[in-house]
Amino acid sequence: MPDKSSDVVQGTLDMLVLKTLALEPMHGYGISVRIEQMSKGVFRLNAGSLFLAIQRLQRDGLIDGEWKATENNRRARYYVLTKKGRQRLNSEAREWGRQAAAIARILEAS
Amino acid sequence: MSLLRNLGSGLRSLFRKEQVNRELDEELGEYLEMADDEKMKQGMSRQDALRAVRLEGGSLDGTKEIVRSGGWESVVDTLWRDLLFAARMLRKSPGFTLVAMLTLGLGIGGNTAVFSVMNTVLLRYLPLPNPQQLVFLRLPNAPPDGVSSTGDVDRSFSYPVFEALRKEHAVFSDLMAYVPLAVNKVAVRIGEDPEEAEGDMVSGNFFSGLGVSFTRGRGFALEDETAHASVVVLSYSYWTTRFGRSPSAIGQTIYVKGVPFTVIGVTAQGFYGVEPASSTDFWIPLQNRPELTAWDEEPSLNTLYGTPKWWCIQLIGRLVPGVTESQALAKLDPVFQSAALIGLGTPDPKAKKNILAFSSTQGIQGLRDDYQKPVQILLAMVALVLAIACANVSMLLVARNSTRAREFSVRMALGAGRGRLLRQTLTESFLLVAGGATFGWMFAISGSQALAAWSGMETPFVLDSRVLLFTLAISISCAIIFGLAPLRRAVSVPVGVTLKTSNATAYRDQRSSWSGKVVVASQMALCLVLLVGSGLLVRSLRNYQTLPLGLRVDGLLVFGTDPFSVHSDEEKEHFYQDLLARLREAPGIESATLVSHRLGSGWGWNSVWTIDGVEPQGPFSEIGMSANHVGPDFCHTLGIPILRGRDVTDADTRSAPKVVLVNETFSNRFFPKGDALGHSVGKNKPENSFTVVGVIGDSKYKRVDEKSKPTLYFPFAQNTPIPNMQVELRTHSNPEALIPSVHAVLHGLDPNLPIQKPMTQRAQFDKSYSQARLFARLSIFFGVIAVLLVATGLYGTLAYRVDRRTSEIGVRMALGAQHGQVLWLILRESLLVSGAAILAGVPVAIAGARLMRSMLFGVQPGDMISFLLALFGVILVALTASIIPARRAMRVDPIVALRYE
Repeated sequence: MPDKSSDVVQGTLDMLVLKTLALEPMHGYGISVRIEQMSKGVFRLNAGSLFLAIQRLQRDGLIDGEWKATENNRRARYYVLTKKGRQRLNSEAREWGRQAAAIARILEAS
Repeated sequence: MSLLRNLGSGLRSLFRKEQVNRELDEELGEYLEMADDEKMKQGMSRQDALRAVRLEGGSLDGTKEIVRSGGWESVVDTLWRDLLFAARMLRKSPGFTLVAMLTLGLGIGGNTAVFSVMNTVLLRYLPLPNPQQLVFLRLPNAPPDGVSSTGDVDRSFSYPVFEALRKEHAVFSDLMAYVPLAVNKVAVRIGEDPEEAEGDMVSGNFFSGLGVSFTRGRGFALEDETAHASVVVLSYSYWTTRFGRSPSAIGQTIYVKGVPFTVIGVTAQGFYGVEPASSTDFWIPLQNRPELTAWDEEPSLNTLYGTPKWWCIQLIGRLVPGVTESQALAKLDPVFQSAALIGLGTPDPKAKKNILAFSSTQGIQGLRDDYQKPVQILLAMVALVLAIACANVSMLLVARNSTRAREFSVRMALGAGRGRLLRQTLTESFLLVAGGATFGWMFAISGSQALAAWSGMETPFVLDSRVLLFTLAISISCAIIFGLAPLRRAVSVPVGVTLKTSNATAYRDQRSSWSGKVVVASQMALCLVLLVGSGLLVRSLRNYQTLPLGLRVDGLLVFGTDPFSVHSDEEKEHFYQDLLARLREAPGIESATLVSHRLGSGWGWNSVWTIDGVEPQGPFSEIGMSANHVGPDFCHTLGIPILRGRDVTDADTRSAPKVVLVNETFSNRFFPKGDALGHSVGKNKPENSFTVVGVIGDSKYKRVDEKSKPTLYFPFAQNTPIPNMQVELRTHSNPEALIPSVHAVLHGLDPNLPIQKPMTQRAQFDKSYSQARLFARLSIFFGVIAVLLVATGLYGTLAYRVDRRTSEIGVRMALGAQHGQVLWLILRESLLVSGAAILAGVPVAIAGARLMRSMLFGVQPGDMISFLLALFGVILVALTASIIPARRAMRVDPIVALRYE
């Protein structure tokens, strides 16, 4: 376990959720676990902000949800990326890459 | 697309709340269970896992609340809940709600009504398309020398000037001319009975240029003007009162001074002519007949249509869009300069310069100057009333909310944010204000009608969108002001304190009881200011009413005549002799006489006469004289004392030796030895010399508040030309009951003769201070409201405090306090508050009274009596309001009070 987890960088949670769902359809808990795993425990989501983001993305038509059975035979709401969501993810990821590279360049300049 | 989806999803949460909640519950429940499972897989016990998950992620309910508040629908939802809750809270105390709403209604309604006056008089444009393009043409330097003009010297033009200016199409898209047929009303006959109405002669483009729309028929065309056509357009209100809105009015014949005109149109509702202070009943094209001259002047070469010598027509222009006023004036000036001199021969190089100017069509011309200051003062007065009303409601709310302090504390303890509580109380005050504004609007509708009637304005004060906006603005500021005031107290009380204390000893700190007293004291100070203002205005009114007029005013009826069919002096003298003879025989009439300028009407005749052939020297203010044409029995009928000599008699005819009466001031000024009788006054020609045969007491002429001026009274037939005369009748009974017999007498002389503006002489004099009366009445009204509000406010505060101190009083009484001491305990508080209020209010009242100086008559702004009465009033209010709570305190039974605790 990492010794310290932090909040997701402001404004990037939507992008992270989209990215997670781009791999495969997933339910809420799955998303939070996956983000925690992929970030190696740096980002840990609380349920409130996660479901707020899900609600927002759903309303913007970027993801869709439907009830399904899980592998453990529970019922859960699975979310899928829509076509629009995929486009949004691509553009946001590109933009983020550009910004991150720029920030890195600024920080590395000496 | 996504907006639609967002909306859809939001609406679904609003209207299918159950299902959405269930789904959210289920989804979050699953989420937590999965997290539990995960923890248990890592080897925790179920108990520990549950605990760990909730510690990390927060409770299920907390999470749900976060998610639910994310969408826009949650805002609507809480607002709606707040509204329902507020309505429920208000319904639970209907008395409070009604009182608060009525109080606010009075405040808001008063402000709205007064603002509607201000709007009409100072701000509003004519109800026509693009009214900003319209300008009145003005002559700030008066017309050139050598021409005659009207009473409106600064806005009357000649026909040649109009013809020249109307051709300037680069400046005016249209230039319209209008000129009244008479100073007041003109004789009109529809069917059998003669009556009078207000009519203007106008240019052919008058309606089209202004953009007036028509309910029925059509307006004039240019051909109607050039042909001086016999057609007439009626105003909507005249059509309503005279024809009952009958469509068959079109095509009917109206006789204007005996000349037949055919009705061709009715203007749209709301158009009262271009001068909103008086409403025009009908319009006819400019006429060239001798019967229909501008302003009802005697027809002569210099008063007929087209003359350059008689500057009588008024002009209103519509500027071409994009042309500024200064550009327009620059282009018009050369044209105007040459047109102004047409027909006047070679100009005198030393003559004053002719200047053309524009004035705005906003508000009401002429009234603006008279009303601006009074209306502002009135607005300040109603603003004070509103401030008092708001303070009252706010105190009511404070009192109510402090009994609700426990409720607030419980809610805060349960986790309600301050923001949520704030929204809640604001919603409540908005509801109160909404109710108050509704009451206020209804109050304003009748209030502004009453104001219009009181002020003698012929056009109604319109409650238009600007007034509505004003009302909304003041209402919203009220809501915010007193919505926040009580809350600050409620939420500043520490939660623990309120929860721990019992109701009777509920939390009270020094500061809060202080702020209550400060509010009441400032209310009383404002009330004092209002009362001083009303006192001054009422005393001014009393001064007007009790001013000695110098004549016996009761029992007099006055009416005007316009014998338009008789022209020569000979005919006119005969007409009036005949009229007087017939009137004297009519039942109920004790005596009758004539005057050319009706007393108390504001009109007069001023000039300078020579005395024994010598013109008096000195400034006009000293040697200026007034004069009037009068009939036989003048002094006898009006009840003016004859000091020396005699009255005018039937024998003072046109052919008799010329005589004149003078008043006491005249005699004192020019004949200090008292030997005026037998001397002569005259003018211009030697044959125009009149022998003084009587010295009579001073009496009021133009208005009640004038100073006595040297005045001459000429027998009407001896100072020619003979003008149209007003008839004064004296009776023992009610003067107005004479009107039918007067009608009969006039009808017998000529069926076309109307009786003009019949009224009692008392009413005519009253008109000269109608403004003072209006403001005095209004200030009394506002003063009474303020007193009532302050009394209820003070009563409420004291009663509430006595209630809170019941146990304290009980203890005091148990320890031996006497009734008197308890009474003093309560009274002392209200006396202290009133003392502070008086200390604060008197300087403000003194400053306010100074601002009102121009509205006062015979009273100084520092008038002791007004101030003492106001002080007395405030103290009386304070005592009255404290009596009931003080008595209640006195009756406190110590045993009951202590057991209660």
